[in-house]
Amino acid sequence: MSENFVAPGQQRYLRACMVCSIVMTSSRFREEGCPNCEEFLHLQGSADQIDSCTSQVFEGLISLANPSRSWVAKWQRLDGYVRGVYATKVSGQLPEEVKTAIQDEYRIQYIPRDGSATED
Amino acid sequence: MEASLDAEKQAEILRERYGKRAPARGFGDSVVVPKRLLLPSVEDPSIWAVRCKEGKEREVVFSIIRRVEERLGTKNEVPIISAFERGGVNSVMKGYIYVEAQRQNDIMIALDGILNVYPRTKMILVEIKDMPDLLRVTKTPNLEPGAWVRIRKPAKYAGDLAQILDVTENGLEARVRYIPRLDYGVRDDALAALDANGKRKRPGAPGPRPPQRLFSEVEARKRQPRFVTASNAGPNCWNYMGDEFDNGFLVKDIKIQALEVKDVNPTLEEVTKFASGAEDGTENLDLKALAASLKDSNTNVAYVPGDIIEVYHGEQRGVVGKATNVQGDIVTLQVTEGDLKGQTIEVPNKGLRKRFRAGDHVKVIGGSRFRDEVGMVVKIVDDRVTLLTDQTNTEITVFSKDLREADDIGGQGSLGQYSLLDLVQLDPTTVGCIVKVDRESLVVLEQHGETKQIMPSQITNLLPKRKTAVAADRNGSEIRLDDVVREYGGQQRQGKIIHIHRSFIFLHTNTTNENAGVFVTRASSVNTIAAKGGRINAAGGPDLDSMNPALKRNPAGNNAPPPKSFGPDRAINQTVTIKKGGYKGLLGIVKDTTDTHARVELHTKGKIITVAKADLAFKDKVTGRPIDITSRGRGGYGGGGGRGGFGGGGGDWAGGSRTPSAGGGSERTPAWGSSKATARTPAWSRNENTAGSRTPAWGDGSRTVNPYDGSRTSYGGATSYGGATSYGGGSRTPAWQSGAMTPAPDGFGHGSKTPAYGGSSGGDAWRAKTPAYGGSGGISAPTPGASGADSWGYTPAAYDAPTPGAGLGAPTPAALNAPTPGAYSAPTPMVSAPTPGAWQGGWGNDGGAPTPAAQVAPTPAASGGGVYYGAPTPAAYGPETPAASGPRYTDDD
Repeated sequence: MSENFVAPGQQRYLRACMVCSIVMTSSRFREEGCPNCEEFLHLQGSADQIDSCTSQVFEGLISLANPSRSWVAKWQRLDGYVRGVYATKVSGQLPEEVKTAIQDEYRIQYIPRDGSATED
Repeated sequence: MEASLDAEKQAEILRERYGKRAPARGFGDSVVVPKRLLLPSVEDPSIWAVRCKEGKEREVVFSIIRRVEERLGTKNEVPIISAFERGGVNSVMKGYIYVEAQRQNDIMIALDGILNVYPRTKMILVEIKDMPDLLRVTKTPNLEPGAWVRIRKPAKYAGDLAQILDVTENGLEARVRYIPRLDYGVRDDALAALDANGKRKRPGAPGPRPPQRLFSEVEARKRQPRFVTASNAGPNCWNYMGDEFDNGFLVKDIKIQALEVKDVNPTLEEVTKFASGAEDGTENLDLKALAASLKDSNTNVAYVPGDIIEVYHGEQRGVVGKATNVQGDIVTLQVTEGDLKGQTIEVPNKGLRKRFRAGDHVKVIGGSRFRDEVGMVVKIVDDRVTLLTDQTNTEITVFSKDLREADDIGGQGSLGQYSLLDLVQLDPTTVGCIVKVDRESLVVLEQHGETKQIMPSQITNLLPKRKTAVAADRNGSEIRLDDVVREYGGQQRQGKIIHIHRSFIFLHTNTTNENAGVFVTRASSVNTIAAKGGRINAAGGPDLDSMNPALKRNPAGNNAPPPKSFGPDRAINQTVTIKKGGYKGLLGIVKDTTDTHARVELHTKGKIITVAKADLAFKDKVTGRPIDITSRGRGGYGGGGGRGGFGGGGGDWAGGSRTPSAGGGSERTPAWGSSKATARTPAWSRNENTAGSRTPAWGDGSRTVNPYDGSRTSYGGATSYGGATSYGGGSRTPAWQSGAMTPAPDGFGHGSKTPAYGGSSGGDAWRAKTPAYGGSGGISAPTPGASGADSWGYTPAAYDAPTPGAGLGAPTPAALNAPTPGAYSAPTPMVSAPTPGAWQGGWGNDGGAPTPAAQVAPTPAASGGGVYYGAPTPAAYGPETPAASGPRYTDDD
């Protein structure tokens, strides 16, 4: 029923997507993929891809109940994403090939979420 | 048809056709809106900070999302918009979660009943302008191979330094190497046993962790051969217990979270451990990587105004200047070189380093094991500075940030345990004050004023500073450490006393640099300028009580306090009444004294007050009778003074055992003679030193036709030395000598005193004298008393115990023998020399009674005093008389 809830005991399996910063357990990433980025990250069922495109180093959890109205979501560029738990900062870098693929093929400007892009 | 479309339309079609792969949501408008356009406005929901339990922030956030989802679609949907936390062990924002909602009440509804969060406590509304800060993200510095980190987990290695070998592509894990802490199963064996509960102890249980040591294949094989396997990774690589070892280092992949990346501050010492492990033995210490690690921790670099600083990073790179001001992270530089010369610029201290030139004399101030080394810069590469140390002449390399320009003057300040201005013993008779510390030698100023260069090994002993050391200046005022005194005569140098050694004092002055401002002189040739703490110095004349050790040597006496090393006053512990002032009539006990004042604990009030000594009347503790502490003390003296002859105190007095010694007057003389060598009596030494000129009386005395007068005068006079004069009175000496005095006194002792007396020394003279005595004032009444039979009468009285007979018979003679004759003929003067001060008081106070006692006692005392270090008074006593008298005598003749 509440799919985004993770019991404290399971929280050590949490990972965050390096693109959209959504936080889920690695098993859920494997089963469902990333709800926002699956189109181009193809995490579903791929442990390797999960390993390289999600990070277990993240901080500052955000429970996003209403992405469209939230200023926090806007600021974090999460507006338009699904409801759920996100991270403020996700350490780690996407593999270069994934990065280029996203930007070239999907015309998406990738904004790293590890804090390196905060200065405009 | 397509051709008819203009290019723009065509592009749009193409985009439509192929651009669809962009997801509809989120990335739809792939143009990234600049953050500044996203800044919150009043239309945006507000954010409140809500207290929650520290460390439970994440759980709370998950609980919120659960509640949001559970109530989704129901009629009581959770009204908040979002909630977030910025917890973390080191975060300043821990203990709060932040909730975005339209109204504060929404939050109450949303969080009601959620564990660990306290919406009912005061919520804080975050101001709009502060909202972006809540979500600020700072980048974790990238780890680069070669950089240094500290291990956080596992606990066994917590805090240990590790070097990064490699970082995984996503930057989340690093391969690090560090020095293992292995015990090769030594402890495991003990732990393998099951404990009381039948459970195996968990590994990693608290206990001392093994020391850091490189992996030793030999040892591992010896203990646990089956766990060791060679690895194919390299020539010296092993697998042991599931870990990889390369060249002795433990190599492991560790998650970034388990590493301390910031403020690593590796010390050179730690780092060198890694360097020395190279297989070919070369030092491959990568200072560059070390520098990189250290750069983050620039915070501990302290720039001080005056430092020469170079900018090595940023726009101003290459600028060199002198720091004029340091405020937080900003250093203000006065540029000293290049185009900007003369200008003042402000730079963040991040891109700065101290700059030195080859040849600079620098000191290592921190951060490395070379701390406090002083040396000369010989090479500079980037921010690594190589210097040649003064101490050991070896080259060391340190970071420039750890260096400071050294003061050439101060030097080391210490060599081993010896430091500047310490007092050291060079041989049994020589001490010196360290005035210079060189690399391997010291320069000391000896007590005689010579400087000498010595090796530390030539020092036998470091003499600790004795805070209680005391000496008397030429006025007899007491001087102590830190008093300011001036030489009398000579160069009239003035200085602060830093050491007192016997009669020498080492002084320090700031007016000269010679010998580090230290000079040495005799205590007796300085005048006090300022006494530390404003001690009261006896205004008129010397305070013999405090100068005369004999007087300090307290009788084992019943009511005197245990002797202290210095300055015990017999008044201490005495029962007194106060004669004057607001406390008049009150009874108390003297707790402490100065020269003029006493601190008296009142019986009545349990309070300690300070009263002038003159206002005190001393009482017997038991009987309450007025007593004279001086005389009592004196009595004790005889005994205490080691005066064999006089035995232990008044009581013993009677015990004529002494008599013999006394009686053997003649024999004494030799004894005295011997003691003469030591002759300490102040008077005496003065005499010898020629300083003696002190008492005019003295000189006069010796010459005066009527020596007695002279001597008396001196008595009367403040100068105890006047007593010495009595020497001069040396005229006595003849008497003494001729008299074969000893017998005379003896006879005197046995017979009627006065006559004997008179007889012995020549009645006329005596008579004459007596008046003189009177004239002298202080002694006035008593003296005659003393000489007269009266005094004798008193004696018994004073001492109670001794029957007159006894007094006269056995002991008295003894007493008198030496002293009396002295007193009246030769010795007395002697006696008087030292004693005078002491007993004068007594006399004055008491009048009669004590006299005899006083006389007798003091004499010894005096002589005892004379023999500063020697024990037996007689000895001291003896020498003087003859000595003194001898020469005098001749002179007179």
